[in-house]
Amino acid sequence: MTPVLKLENLSTSLPRNGKTVPILESLNLTINAGEMLALVGESGSGKTIAALSIMRLLPPGATLAGGIWLGGQNLVQLTEPALRRIRGRSAGMVFQNPLAALNPSRTVASQIAEAWRVHNGGSKNTGRVLELLGEVGIPNAAQRLDDYPHQFSGGQRQRVMLAMALACRPSLLIADEPTSGLDPLIARQIMELIARLRRELNMGVLFVTHDLSVVEEHADAVHVLYAGKSVEWGSAKQFFAHPRHPYSEALLGSIARVGQARLHNIPGALPEPESRPAGCRFAPRCAHGQPDCEAAFPPPSQFDATVAACFYPLPLQERPTYAEHLAKPAPQKFTPQLQAENLTVRYAGKTGWFGAANTPPPSLREATFALGRGECLGVVGESGSGKSTLGRAVLQMLPYEGHVLLEGRDFGTLHGAARRAQRRRLQLVFQDPRESLNPRLRIGDIIAEPLRLHGGIPHAALREKVETLLHRVGLNPEMARLYPGTLSGGQAQRIAIARALAASPGIIVLDEPTSSLDVSTQAMLLNLLKDLAYKDALSYILISHDFAVVSYMADRIAVLHEGRIVEMNTTAELIAAPQHAYTAALIAAAPQLRRS
Amino acid sequence: MNNRGTLVAGLTLGALVLFIGFVAPFLFSADPYAIHPAYALQPPSLAFPLGTDELGRNEFLLLLSGGFATLVVALPAAVLAFITGVAYGLLSGLAPAWVDRILMRLLDAVLALPSLIVLLFFASLVALNNISLILLLGFISWPSLARLVRNETLAQRGRDFVLAAEQSGASRLYVARVHLLRIMAPVLVVNGTFMVGDSIFALSALSFLGLGVQPPQVSWGSLLESALDIIALNPWWLILPPGLLVFASLLAASLTGQGLLRRWGNAR
Repeated sequence: MTPVLKLENLSTSLPRNGKTVPILESLNLTINAGEMLALVGESGSGKTIAALSIMRLLPPGATLAGGIWLGGQNLVQLTEPALRRIRGRSAGMVFQNPLAALNPSRTVASQIAEAWRVHNGGSKNTGRVLELLGEVGIPNAAQRLDDYPHQFSGGQRQRVMLAMALACRPSLLIADEPTSGLDPLIARQIMELIARLRRELNMGVLFVTHDLSVVEEHADAVHVLYAGKSVEWGSAKQFFAHPRHPYSEALLGSIARVGQARLHNIPGALPEPESRPAGCRFAPRCAHGQPDCEAAFPPPSQFDATVAACFYPLPLQERPTYAEHLAKPAPQKFTPQLQAENLTVRYAGKTGWFGAANTPPPSLREATFALGRGECLGVVGESGSGKSTLGRAVLQMLPYEGHVLLEGRDFGTLHGAARRAQRRRLQLVFQDPRESLNPRLRIGDIIAEPLRLHGGIPHAALREKVETLLHRVGLNPEMARLYPGTLSGGQAQRIAIARALAASPGIIVLDEPTSSLDVSTQAMLLNLLKDLAYKDALSYILISHDFAVVSYMADRIAVLHEGRIVEMNTTAELIAAPQHAYTAALIAAAPQLRRS
Repeated sequence: MNNRGTLVAGLTLGALVLFIGFVAPFLFSADPYAIHPAYALQPPSLAFPLGTDELGRNEFLLLLSGGFATLVVALPAAVLAFITGVAYGLLSGLAPAWVDRILMRLLDAVLALPSLIVLLFFASLVALNNISLILLLGFISWPSLARLVRNETLAQRGRDFVLAAEQSGASRLYVARVHLLRIMAPVLVVNGTFMVGDSIFALSALSFLGLGVQPPQVSWGSLLESALDIIALNPWWLILPPGLLVFASLLAASLTGQGLLRRWGNAR
């Protein structure tokens, strides 16, 4: 096999707060022609800096050491004009947000043609553009030559980016989180497209991601970064079957996947680049750590097909099977707490001058379901399927037709203070934790808000309650005096949960509560939510596009498609025997669920 | 100039202007309106640090007295315009859509009138005293702030933390008080400082046209105007100081606003 990319002791430092701080330290990896290597790590691990270092697209002030061998040249020693000839020709890149990478004021065809022309000259190249668009699977390419980026869907834009990246037939494709922000079905298609193209073009792929579940299916090799250092690398098959480094094991364990009774918690947080520990970077958070782990960085030790940098690598162990997951006890007796009957939501269309209304189809059609006490109902579907609308209708945040009954009392029959009191019992947690906290209020005031609005609680009691709530969501009560700006995403989401709990709700609607968080943070949060539900008999409506997360949390799952509930069943039965074709497609797009 | 420098310069200059307007006039017991015909139109000297006007009045004392007269009208006018603008904007942004539409058309109507013409019109109708001047100046400068606050309210009221408060039973008044005003605080403070500058300038312009602070009381604007009558004699000591003080007030407000804006600009 011929290596297309070889990194030798690649180290990158970036200026931070006036100092030069090492971000990436001695990265060694090789990608062969036709091979896909997944560079995996949480935010702050240095994985994106590694990808940018290869093309030398670093911010000013960055320093680079080591070797980047691509096409027989060491890129570290090249001048900027020489590098420009390499970028795009020898290596193509696709990024996370394709809309930001495309120029909105030029047609897609002209942008693809440009990618080709820069390196090959010539003029219009319509034939070449058509060929490329066909290659990445844009239907009716000939009719779309004059279209602008906004006329393409998210998945198609990523295909266009791929067409641009592949215009000059590079030997290496660098894909930095190319599927994040896409619906799972679309993400799966993009992954399959990348896998097919690398086979057809015999191209090496460096796939940068934080999400191990995306790469499991397609990657040949895995390279795990933690706090700037490689911790484990080697064959993907071997890695997923038997991770040897405790961090890899924890990372795999924190992804919601079938065969898992409980997600793995990694205590603590990734160290900042300025304060990385001297020895093994993971030692302070490691469950298997020994005192000498903190003294020196462990040398790599070779296993069958993987290498792990750990003094005490894990022994071979069997992973739990799918059958054990199904054996999970069914929820206790069902007492309905919330009922929704024929819930239909129409957003008002534009009314014409003479009252001729242009009514769009309803975003939610005749949804009927019940939620039992202490139950978690998962709601899954693509963006636009109406799942958020369902949550907001239940919360009484928007006008709807039909009935919502909480503990037998219909919201439609309640008014004034009685309605407000009943509505308080339904709380919600949003997707973006930072957006859901007012940055100008202290955390204590944010959590106390529902209590204050309820009224009648003296100041001292309020403070005590806030401290109890902070404690319950696993945060330091001292935090009450801080402002949200200093919080990490996971902490902010805990504050949002504490605020929801302050209203002493019966039901919490969780709208994509973990989709903006790293996997290990996500695992901690899901476990917290599970514990809270268990202790307080809380009920959840969990809305998510992530089937794996929902299947980990939910007792029953409702599948929404184009505003309708197309299927609703207990989690185990739904996964084992999906009745609707759309459900089956969703399950197929969640790799963790197919391992039955 | 860096952010801190801008802010410090603005605050220092502002403090100086406030000192000249509110403290300095009371440090001198001499009557600023005393006439010394023998010393008419003297250039600056030890006895008259800023010279004398055509009636022989001490220009230095007139300037201090005029400063007090200017600020005592301009500052309350700015406060009035600020409160009106914020209240109107919040009301419009939080009210049902049809109320908002009516309030915004009213606002358009007020904005469509050239403010100087409106001022001249009303100034010719009512007796001009401090109270009527405050009301007049306050009336012309609130609409742009009201529009800003209304747009900001619309942009912020759908944010997740507002929705969360509403879910727990928050009223519109609560949302406005606890969430909207705090989140808008930087915008408001910055625009408030600009309003102070605008108000001083508008009053000076009005006084310059003879419709501001009424004689015998002088103001910075009227001092400029009376100097203009005898500009053929080149009384530079009568023109420069009041002009510079108006300029300094505007600069102080603008620098303070800029400094605050840069400091808070990104902290949304």
